Amino acid sequence: MSDWQFEEEEFHTSTNVGTLGRILRLLIPHKWMALGFMVAIGAVAFIEAALTFIGAQIIDQGIIARNPQRIVELVVTYALMMFVLAFGVFVFIYLAGKLGQRVTYDLRKAMFDHLQTLSLTYYNKTPVGWIMSRVNSDSERIADLVSWGLLDVIWAVMNIVTALIFMFSINWQLALAILPLIPSLWFAALWFKARILLHYRESRKYNSEIIGAYNEMITGVRVIKALNREATSLEEFGDLTRSMYRASYKAAWYSALFLPTVQIMSSLAVGAILVLGGQQIVGLTGEALGLTIGGLNAFIGYVTFMMWPVQDLARVYASMQHAIASAERAFSLLDTKPDIVDRPCAVEVDSIEGDIVFEDVTFYYDADKPVLTNFSLKVKAGETVALVGHTGSGKSTIVNLICRFYEPRAGRILINGRDYREIALHSLHSKIGMVLQTPHLFSGTIRDNIRYGRLEATDAQIEAAARTAGAHDFIATLEKGYDTEVGEGGVLLSTGQKQLISIARAILAEPQLFIMDEATSSVDTLTEALIQKGMETLMEGRTSFVIAHRLSTIKNADRIVVLENGKIIEMGTHSELLRQRGHYYSLYTKQFRREREAELERALEMA
Amino acid sequence: MAQIATKATTADTFNVKATLAHNRLLGLWRLLKGYRPMYLSATLSLGVAALLMTGGVLLIRYFVDNILVRPDESFMTAALAVALLYVAMQAVRGFFSFRSNERAARVSESVALRLKDYLFDHLQHLPFAYHDKMPTGELIQRVTSDVDAIRLFFAEQLIGIGRIFVLFVVNFAALLFLHAPLALLSVLVIPIVMVLSLFFFRRVSAAYEDFQEQDAVVSRTVQENLSGVRVVKAFARQDFEKQRFEGENHKKFRLGTRFMTMHAIYWPFTDVLMGLQTALGYLAASLMVLDGQITLGTYVAYVGVVWWIIDPVRNLGRLIVQVSEAMVSYDRLSEVIRPDWEDMGYGLPAPVSQPQGRLKFEGVSFEYEPGKPVLHDISFEVEPGQAVALLGSTGSGKTSLMALLTRFYDYTGGRITLDGVDLKAYPRVFLRNLIGVVEQEPFLFSTTIRNNIAYGVYREVSQEEIEAAARAAAAHDFIASFPEGYNTLVGERGVTLSGGQKQRVALARTLLKNPRILILDDATSSVDTQTESQIREALDGLMSQRTSFVIAHRIQSVMNADLILVMDKGRIVQRGTHEQLMAERDGIYRKTYDMQASIETELERELSYVGLAV
Repeated sequence: MSDWQFEEEEFHTSTNVGTLGRILRLLIPHKWMALGFMVAIGAVAFIEAALTFIGAQIIDQGIIARNPQRIVELVVTYALMMFVLAFGVFVFIYLAGKLGQRVTYDLRKAMFDHLQTLSLTYYNKTPVGWIMSRVNSDSERIADLVSWGLLDVIWAVMNIVTALIFMFSINWQLALAILPLIPSLWFAALWFKARILLHYRESRKYNSEIIGAYNEMITGVRVIKALNREATSLEEFGDLTRSMYRASYKAAWYSALFLPTVQIMSSLAVGAILVLGGQQIVGLTGEALGLTIGGLNAFIGYVTFMMWPVQDLARVYASMQHAIASAERAFSLLDTKPDIVDRPCAVEVDSIEGDIVFEDVTFYYDADKPVLTNFSLKVKAGETVALVGHTGSGKSTIVNLICRFYEPRAGRILINGRDYREIALHSLHSKIGMVLQTPHLFSGTIRDNIRYGRLEATDAQIEAAARTAGAHDFIATLEKGYDTEVGEGGVLLSTGQKQLISIARAILAEPQLFIMDEATSSVDTLTEALIQKGMETLMEGRTSFVIAHRLSTIKNADRIVVLENGKIIEMGTHSELLRQRGHYYSLYTKQFRREREAELERALEMA
Repeated sequence: MAQIATKATTADTFNVKATLAHNRLLGLWRLLKGYRPMYLSATLSLGVAALLMTGGVLLIRYFVDNILVRPDESFMTAALAVALLYVAMQAVRGFFSFRSNERAARVSESVALRLKDYLFDHLQHLPFAYHDKMPTGELIQRVTSDVDAIRLFFAEQLIGIGRIFVLFVVNFAALLFLHAPLALLSVLVIPIVMVLSLFFFRRVSAAYEDFQEQDAVVSRTVQENLSGVRVVKAFARQDFEKQRFEGENHKKFRLGTRFMTMHAIYWPFTDVLMGLQTALGYLAASLMVLDGQITLGTYVAYVGVVWWIIDPVRNLGRLIVQVSEAMVSYDRLSEVIRPDWEDMGYGLPAPVSQPQGRLKFEGVSFEYEPGKPVLHDISFEVEPGQAVALLGSTGSGKTSLMALLTRFYDYTGGRITLDGVDLKAYPRVFLRNLIGVVEQEPFLFSTTIRNNIAYGVYREVSQEEIEAAARAAAAHDFIASFPEGYNTLVGERGVTLSGGQKQRVALARTLLKNPRILILDDATSSVDTQTESQIREALDGLMSQRTSFVIAHRIQSVMNADLILVMDKGRIVQRGTHEQLMAERDGIYRKTYDMQASIETELERELSYVGLAV
């Protein structure tokens, strides 16, 4: 289970301008939405600053000038602007929120669709957890940056700029005097954010170790108890929780200090405003510089609230590095080229019936570890071939090559005399039926899962396929029959039952080529017999490849191919091979004993 | 004999169970034990900080009313004094606000630490019956996210509600002091905002849950597609999959937009309410200045204070919804904490301090769940040094019987005695030290092989001892073949060992522990025959000095035992030595033996069909 196993993520600190540009280009399809929220947030920031200015005018033009008429006018203006502001707030929350969701949606769609085109080679070397993180969290982080992150930046910049404009227009000397506040706040914000983030990450790291420790303790509780290990394991765990405590506390310490620090910085500016501004108001500076009490009050307001935009900027800056790292990974997924694509000259074919020929096929996953070297095999149309051999002998590779999940690195595979790379992938795959060793069912009903073989099949056809596969009887015993949900939250099916369903799925597909990877785990006798029967139906008259483990399957095959290290070491019918008294002989006798012993075990259980 | 772990837990582990209460707030209050003064001081600091902030506003009022009216030389000194006082007040305020946050963090992190440590210890002391039933994933979910919810309750929610309350009280008091009617006029909108906030956040949290659920569906769809990639490709269903994903992905987009739209309505709506309230206040206050009812300074102070009353209330609903979620987390944690520990008997003396290993089962029965017995009327005796073999199919009760010896479960009927004394009189910790078990699918910890082998011993262990144990378990050679030898990490971050290799490491672990009684539960099922005979040789020597039990399902592995017990459906159906059992022609033992032999005959027949004589 990977739910609680966090991935260690490398954190980039560099700011890659190219990636940032590509992130921003994600907005192009939604440029009106993006433009809309930018205008709205800009307007909101402007109105916020303007409201403070109106507040100043109420004091100067209304109260000090003793003009009630003007007061009413200004208050009405204030109230009306509040409505405009509210409208702006509505627009930016709505648009930025929707845009964030939309970009997440776009990215996930793009990644998912792209994943469908990638070849098995990619899936073999990329852990599912890695891909999941790209689709789940990276897409959100990127979307957050272009919606809320961008919003914060624009708000903060607009806020600072408009506040400065108003301050300079009220009194430029005073504005100039407190200008150094802005870079100081910026510097403090960055300094603190960096430290908070550092300790926060450290604490997350310990957190995932703690989750790991819980997991290990719970799954290993038998051993802990049997070895009286409780005290020691608690002590070890205590080291982890204490480390996490220290890291979290440090992060909290810095963030507790951050706000007071910037507040004190602002208060210094307020102090300066009181002294310098007061001096002007009372007329001590000699010349009338025009500062009023309202203006003074507005200055205090601007300065006190200046720390918020600066803090927002610092936060976005910190999370931007994070989002860029996310984007680099997400884009690397999107940029991965599929290994197997249709050749320009690929043709659609109606049928892939005919002989299948491996001609000097060489294949490897890593160049220094060849799996198949100059492998040749000719299979006649309608023939059933059993592939036997140890793990790693190349059985699965052969099957994967036939399905064109991989393509030969050298040599070629001919279907009906034609190199299969000239056939369109879709037309090849739609004629193959496959049953896997660990059958994969999708969440949904049993009916949905069988229908996966042929999407346009009717319910009657689905039931017929299930009957042929021998799956109908057990399905009928389920309370909801074909509408039973499988997978998470649904009923638990045994491996054997899943295999029956996947055989029904393959039968429904009416494939021209059938591929089966037999389950190694033991299945109860009845299900086993049903699976056998279903397989036989499927293999009848179809070219079939079976990675065989069961003796009955092996014996019934038209031809048995014994593989070792990617080479055919023996080939022939069951009796021919037994007579050779070679590898097949020893594989067979071993398997014979194993199967019989398992039967014996079951017989004893029944007794 | 290995040193016994005698203490239950490290001394400073707080007993969380004693704090549980049906009233959740009371329970949370008790959980704070030892940190209450600190938490109180965090809350008080919050109040002091709020007072100083409002004090700053009042100081500006003084400045406007009393300093700005002095157009003479005394202004500078007075203004400087006010400015300095202002900065000083903000510095002190900063100190208290820091102190408040820092203490709240310290308390909440300490409570989380306390909970995590306790839960860890608690879970490892719960009886097996609990772990048998509880899925690991769910337990982990509770001990991580629910603990974090409690932490947030103390770190942010409770103190956040306190903050809103304090800000309101202090600033409202300041307003009342400035001008009572004006104060009352300025809070008209507060009840409306409060109700709206509660209503909105309740709704929005439901919408958010829907959104989160759909997010999980999207994630599951991707996961399924990735794990079924071969099926998708084999049936060429890429377009179908894209459509399926599109459906879920788009639904999530819609739910997300709905949730954002709710925010887009709430915030501007309250903005308007607040704006109108502020405008009304400005109007009234400024006219009062003209009227001479209040001073200009009072007006300035009023403008500075009024915002701090209204704005925080907008967030009240959010905090209250979060608190109710924290309460649910508390309930879930209580459920985990409530079950009783297995009594380990730490520090209690054993009735027999050096048992020889004479075991006697007298009509023992056992059931995991009442009414469903898995062992019936088990009686047999074992002399010290004897080897007993248990033979039977899966589910016949062999493993359950052995689990009674270590008191992983207590038998429900009859009596087991060890050296003449009832097993239940022995402390569990003593028994587990006395008995070594090697399981069929042994569990190794994700640490080095060396640590895994030394896992059951509480003293310094030399490399020689470790190697000797590994050699006896036929594990040394494969361990030595790793580049890092005994320091090789096993598990996810290290090498993956095969089933047979794991069994051998586990065997070495048990051998190093050097137990008086040895239980091998199909412990060599995953090793090949050659290795098995190597291990057997080593074991024969060890087993001769110990009482030992061997669980197996193949006759070859039990033939040499002093006593063979054949089990079926929780009963002993046959007992004796190999020779005795072979003499019972109708017994399961003989039948099994014959059937195993018949496999060879059948094989011969098979081969003769194709013209091969064996």
